[in-house]
Parts: sequence; structure tokens; C-alpha cells
Amino acid sequence: MTVRLEGHAILLEGQCRVEDAEPLLGWLQADRSRIVDLSAAEHLHAAVLQILMALKPSIRGEGKDSFLRDWITPSLITTDLPDGEPNDG
Amino acid sequence: MDDLLQHFIVEARELVQQATDSLLALERDPAGSAHLDSAFRAVHTLKGSVGLFDFAPMGLALHAAEDLLGSLRDGRGAMGGEAIDSLLECIGQSERWVDAIERTGHLPAGAAEEGYRIARVLRAQLDEGSADAAPTVPAADLAWIEELKAACPDPAALRSGDTPLVAIRYTPRADCFFAGDDPVALLRSVPDLIAVRLSNRDPWPPAGEIDPFACNLQVEALSGAALDAVKAVFRFVPDQVTLQEAARGAPGDAHGMRQDSAAAGPSPDPAGGASARMLRVDAARIDRLADLVGEMVVAKNALAHLAAQGADGMDGKSLVQGLQASQAVIDRLVAEMHGAIMDVRMMPMRDIFRRFPRAVREIAGPLGKTIDFSMEGEDVEADKSVVEGLFEPLLHVLRNAIGHGAEPENLRQEAGKPAGARVVLRARRDGDRVLVEVEDDGRGIDPGAIRRVARERGLASGDGIDGMSDEEVIGLIFAPGFSTASEVTELSGRGVGMDAVRSSIERLGGQIGVRSRLGRGTTIRLSLPLTIVMTKVMAVRVGGELYGLPLDGIVETAFVPSARILPVQEAEAFVLRDRTLPLVRLASLLEIPRAPDKGAAVKVVVMAVGDELVGIAVDGFAERMDVLMRPMDGILAGMPGVMGTTLLGDGSVLMILDVPELIG
Repeated sequence: MTVRLEGHAILLEGQCRVEDAEPLLGWLQADRSRIVDLSAAEHLHAAVLQILMALKPSIRGEGKDSFLRDWITPSLITTDLPDGEPNDG
Repeated sequence: MDDLLQHFIVEARELVQQATDSLLALERDPAGSAHLDSAFRAVHTLKGSVGLFDFAPMGLALHAAEDLLGSLRDGRGAMGGEAIDSLLECIGQSERWVDAIERTGHLPAGAAEEGYRIARVLRAQLDEGSADAAPTVPAADLAWIEELKAACPDPAALRSGDTPLVAIRYTPRADCFFAGDDPVALLRSVPDLIAVRLSNRDPWPPAGEIDPFACNLQVEALSGAALDAVKAVFRFVPDQVTLQEAARGAPGDAHGMRQDSAAAGPSPDPAGGASARMLRVDAARIDRLADLVGEMVVAKNALAHLAAQGADGMDGKSLVQGLQASQAVIDRLVAEMHGAIMDVRMMPMRDIFRRFPRAVREIAGPLGKTIDFSMEGEDVEADKSVVEGLFEPLLHVLRNAIGHGAEPENLRQEAGKPAGARVVLRARRDGDRVLVEVEDDGRGIDPGAIRRVARERGLASGDGIDGMSDEEVIGLIFAPGFSTASEVTELSGRGVGMDAVRSSIERLGGQIGVRSRLGRGTTIRLSLPLTIVMTKVMAVRVGGELYGLPLDGIVETAFVPSARILPVQEAEAFVLRDRTLPLVRLASLLEIPRAPDKGAAVKVVVMAVGDELVGIAVDGFAERMDVLMRPMDGILAGMPGVMGTTLLGDGSVLMILDVPELIG
């Protein structure tokens, strides 16, 4: 599994695939204060990325891979996404 | 949204459907004047309704379509495939506009250019192809490119180099994950990225309603590489991406931009998304519900009469008899009302099936395959949520049948099959379930190839695979992470697919199966419940595990200071708002080791057990959720204290406890 729950943190590691989106969503829905750790992530599938964009959990680490560090994680860490605020319901 | 607009949306969808059905029928039978009439009437009515609102570009396009259909009807033009294509394009765009109107109340940006373009293409047909039917370059909205430049982390990169920049706006379709697309992976393969902006296409739904398999991203990026190199990255998704050359330089000097894209603007799911829709209900069903409510009023009056008699000193025995009779009537009525309301939620498969003929045409077209597509059982009904939840998985199964199943014509003829591949979508009722099948007469699944791939990907041990029968091996197509890469086409099969279909079906409480004979064809069979009854539960944590408690038994939750818990002989009690309630530790009920009390307060769920309130101590509260509860069956059926189980999002099993039985 490239996604796992360890204590209060959800760890995304290696090549995260579309299958990882559902457990990630489940864990974040269960507890919105959980931290998502990207330190060991090498790729985030778009399905995983959009869960992070929608629920905006606290993010730890910025990815092991330069593409993630340069282009993907910055948009998860800055809070002002351009289009529309997520609705927490 | 005002009423008029809501009615417009419902009506527009029906007219779009009527026009599409008629145009497709016309394509099969060009001489059928009834189809032409029907298409003309649908477009004419739709144009009229559009005129009531401020949707001028849509009116412009539809007006041109109406004129074209009118001239065909009068025999002034020739009905060719090209005319049908451009009419269907206009109808398809109208449908997307209706979706946008439903979401936002108005047409999307860029609709003016698009409406004008469609109208020109249609009018060109009207003039017998004399005019240039090529898409015109719309004066695109360029503000986003400026914003991207402003967001660039390294402004120097904007200036270095002589070639223009390429601006990319990629709006993946909502169902793109089913096709195996990973927009992030595509973005990763764009050469020489200079700026990236990630956003959401539509506002995010509330956290509890997020569908992890529906893509809602919009990706905008700038690249310093050549246009052709960027184009190559997006070659499989040309309908979802707009590429534009943009001048280098700081934000502000945006001259010399040039659009390069066959598709103007992103196009969401061509067959319509699965958004919440208004429910059209047969009037007879509403009448039945109204009758039942009427009977309920009578029953209520009888109760009032009985109460008055009781007050006047009626003897106890007669009063009890009267109450029992009244209760029996109300019981029956409540059961019937429940049945009636479930009926209202039933909808026929037709409501989603009717969108498939066009989808099949759109899938088969680019592949150059002829598909003989037919449907059976459109009248079979199931709960709204089941029917609507089937659309995307079925679309993907059909895509596979056409993309992988159907062989090219020459291979089919060599094998002695008819040139066009037969694909049948079939629904039927089976007891309290609905069976939906997609059957093709294509090449079938090769168990040998599956074995090889399963071994390569380590889905099962070598011995395990050898020990499996062919049927079991074929079932591996539903395993997570499985995809037969050797079957990659431009259309489907790049990555996940059937496992996502399987999870969608399982979330509806259904099962999926496959039957295939090499060279003869494949049948995917879905079995679904007719109705889904959701149970509201609250999850609680005990000893590191989650358990569910049915919400209807829960009165409240409370934090009780440890000091206020009083030992009463063997048991415990606490005082809540001047009432003494017994306290039961859930850990003891479940006979698991009890964690020592942490902190100064105990978390307590107050539940009604019979006539009494009881406090149930737990280690933690988790979220509330609507779950699909499966009753315990098999050897677990007799397990006391457990009402049922449900699958959580992460694949783990949540046991739903029957607390009164546990306390017993």
C-alpha cells in the first residue's frame, strides 16, 4: 500500500495511485485534523491530489521528487486556491 | 435558481434527448421522414425555450440547426453524414451548456464564440458546403494566461528563449480516471514547465459527498517547449485540452497570441455528468401517496375521538381495544407509505440507457469500428441512486467492449463473424435484484495473457495462479492494479479500469462478474439491489477499533468528569442533568481489555434502551455516516449483539452493534 495511517498522520509514499484516493478520503473524512505526510511521495495520482485540494489537510513534507516539490505541493501548502473555496459542509 | 429555469433545464434535457435519438435514427434510416420531423420539432421547441432566457449564443446555434433541419425536411438539402455530425455536435454542446446552466445559472465563458462557430458550421452545410466549415479561431479569453504568468515562480524563465510559450488549459473529464488517465502524470510529462496552476473545475462538494473517482481538476500551465512537443503529450485527450501560444515576457505584454486547438474549450463528459437531478414521477404514484396521507388523517381523527371518549370516562378495556385497533391501522398505513415513497424513487433504466447510443457512436467513431449496438430491458426499474450510480461504470464497460472486445473488421471477417461487432446492453429483474449485462461477440479474454500479466505484476503467487481455473483467472481483471498493458489503445486500458468499476458497483451494494470465451466474446454481468436503504450510524472508538452505533438509538453524547462517576455495587452510574443513569463500558460489553481512563472526563454516548436511558462509555467519538448495512449471514448470523456490517472507504469492515442486545 502506498497510503497508510500511522497514528495521527496519513503517509503517502512512493508512486501513489488512483486506488489510494478512497482510503485517503475515508481517513480524512473520519478525522479532518489528520496530517498528511508527503515526505516519501514520488508521485501523486490526480485522484489523490484532488482529495488533498478539496479537504485541505495539514501537509507535512513536500515530496521526494522534484516535480512534486516544484509544481504540485506548493498549491497544497498555499491556502488561496484561485477558484472557489471548498465547502466543508 | 428560479422555477422557470428549473423547468427549462428538465425540459431542455428531454428535448436534447429527443433530438439525439431522432438524429441517430435518421443516420440509420436516412429516408425516415418521421425522424426528421421529430428532430426538427425538438430543436424548434428547444430554441423557443432558450429565447425566454438570456442565452443568446445557444439560441444562435440552435436557430442554425433548426434552419438546416427545416431545409432538409423541405427537400432542399441532402442528408449526409456530415450534416448529422454537425447537428449532433450542436446538440451535444447544447447539452453541456444546459449542464453549465444548471451548475452556475448562466452560460460558461467562451459560449459566445462557440455558439457562433457552431452556427457557422451549420450554415455552411445549409449553403451546400460552399463556405469554409473550418472552425473559426475564437477571440479567446486570455486573462488566465496573464494570471499564470503572474504566478510564475521564476520570472526570468518567462523571458529567456526566442520561441513563444505554450499555454495549456487541461480540463480532464469527470470520468477520466475510469479511462485510466492520470492528469498529474500527463502534466509531469510536459517538457520545460514554467508555471503551473491547479484548481477545481466545479466547487468542491461537502466533504462527505466527495466522489474520489470523479475528476474535478483544472490544470493550467505554461511550457517553454515547442507547441508540437506539448501537443504530443496530450494526444490522447485532445477534446479536453486547449493549447495556445503566448508571447514571452512579463505579465501585461500579451501580444501576438495565437490559438491552436481543434477543440474550442474544454468539454466535460459528453453524455452528461451524474449530477443531482430533478425527479420526474408518474402522477399515479403521487396520487397513491396522497390517498395514503388522506387515510392517515382519518386514522388520526379516530385517535382524537378515542382520546375524547377516554376523557369522558370510557372503561379501560374498551379504551385499550380502541387503541389497539387504531394502532393496527396506523401500522399498516406507515408500511404502505414507506412502500409508496420507495416507489416514487424508482426510475427506469431508460433514463440512463438512452444516453448510451450516442456515447457508443462517439467511442467507436475515432476507432473506425462499426458497432451493432442494441439495448434490452429499458423499462426495468430500480432505485434512483442505483440507476444513476450505474451510468459511469456502464460507460466504462461499454468503452472496454468497443475498445478491447471488438476486433477490427478484417479480423472479424477472417473469423467468419459479421463485420460490425455486436454489443448488447441488457437489464432484467431477478427477484429483489437487477441484473445488468454488457455482452459483446468480440475477441474474448485470453486467460493465458491474464496469467502472464498477473505473474509479472505479482498479483498472486506463481503457484496460486497455476492452481486457478480459467474462470478464476479471468476474474483477476477486477483486481486492483491490474491492467493488460499489451492492450493499450488510445481509448481505454491505460492503467486502472475494471477495479474502479468494481468499487463503484460495490459501493452501490452490487457485485460484478465476467464470463468470457476466447474468440467468442465477453459478458460483464452486474447484479445490484433494487433499493438501497441507508442506515445512519455513529462510529465510536474502543480499544483502537471502530464500531458503529445506530444513530436512531442515540440521544446525545456527553463528557462526564471521572469524579462524577459513582460506583453502585458492581456497576457504575453517573448523574446527567439531575437524572441518575447507569454507565456501561462498551469495552466490557465487548469483552476486550479496557484502556485506562485518560484525562479527567469519560466520553459517553447516551442511548435509549427500552424505556431507560443508559450511558455507554467509549474511548472516542468518530464521525457520523450513512452506510449500507449488510445483515450478518452465514456462520456469523447467530452472533449476538451485532446488527450487521458495512464496508468503510478504506476497505475495512465496521461492525454495527445492537446495544440493547449486548446489555441484554
